[in-house]
Amino acid sequence: MGFVVRSVKLAPGCGVVVIDDASTDTTARAAQAAGATVLPLSLQLGAWGATQTGIRYALRHGYQIAVTMDADGQHDASQIGALLEPILAERAEVVIGACPERASRARRIAWSYFRLLTGLGLEDITSGFRAYNHKAMQMLASAEASLLDYQDVGVLLILKRNGLRIAEIPVFMQARALGGSRVFSSWLVVSKYMLQTSLLCIARVGRYYGLSKPPSLAEPDS
Amino acid sequence: MISYQLASTFIGLTIAGAILFLVRRDRLHGPYAVWWLGMAITVVLLGFFPRIFDHLALWVGVGYPPILAIVLGLGLMLIKLLTMDLERSRQERQIRRLAQRLAMLEARPPTTETDSANDTTPPEDPSNEWNV
Repeated sequence: MGFVVRSVKLAPGCGVVVIDDASTDTTARAAQAAGATVLPLSLQLGAWGATQTGIRYALRHGYQIAVTMDADGQHDASQIGALLEPILAERAEVVIGACPERASRARRIAWSYFRLLTGLGLEDITSGFRAYNHKAMQMLASAEASLLDYQDVGVLLILKRNGLRIAEIPVFMQARALGGSRVFSSWLVVSKYMLQTSLLCIARVGRYYGLSKPPSLAEPDS
Repeated sequence: MISYQLASTFIGLTIAGAILFLVRRDRLHGPYAVWWLGMAITVVLLGFFPRIFDHLALWVGVGYPPILAIVLGLGLMLIKLLTMDLERSRQERQIRRLAQRLAMLEARPPTTETDSANDTTPPEDPSNEWNV
């Protein structure tokens, strides 16, 4: 944990926030000692709930860009610069650090299935290594995004529906230093995930075509 | 053997009595209390006049009146279950946002003396910080 925080701290001019999703070990304390602000969630909200906490915090504190990373050492902080480049150049509102090579065969099948279902032309929809600009942060901080359980398809659909440009840049990813994927852990969890996400996609069919009113941009305090 | 009318009246009164008891005890939140009071009244009415369904079935063209009662009852239950899940989803959203807000309020600053972007919170004594 500590080395992830320290590696991010090397990048100039950014604050590091670690969200403690109701963990029971000493990782939160290690993050704090390494120089991160820790947001302790009193209830376990899962990956997306925790990420949203960080985004809301960043908005509250006036940050213009948020970079999300997994804390298991999978993502390489030295690539944050490359991740930010399309946003700074105003070529995209959201940038995904993509590493399709890391995927197993089953995961590739799942991805192409979701690509088909959502019409998102993205290589790596589950990557947690992303950069969001201020507009994207506001959308994702909204109450509308609070009932999502996973950070991938649902989140991307919200962004897409609001007309944000999502760019992908290839990044190098480490094998997870600690722990395994929460989603791709057991067949039961995978099936639940696939079913929920499919439903999410199907339920949103047609909402692309102007049938829905644009969700109001959340005031960060709601 | 007691009469059919008596049995149905008794059942209706018992259910309505239980509901009224709970509503009076403030165990039910406002909007739910209204729904359940309506239920209590319906149950008493049907208990006293079980023949209502015979007339109703005739009127809507259902050949076997009891099945109309069952179908209507099941339908109402489904609607009630659906509204319950809607309410639960609304509450889940609120709980999540509340937990997030609490986490933001409880933000723990870094314990090292590095330059942190979060300079608004003064460093606290770590020993009592963990007792909350």
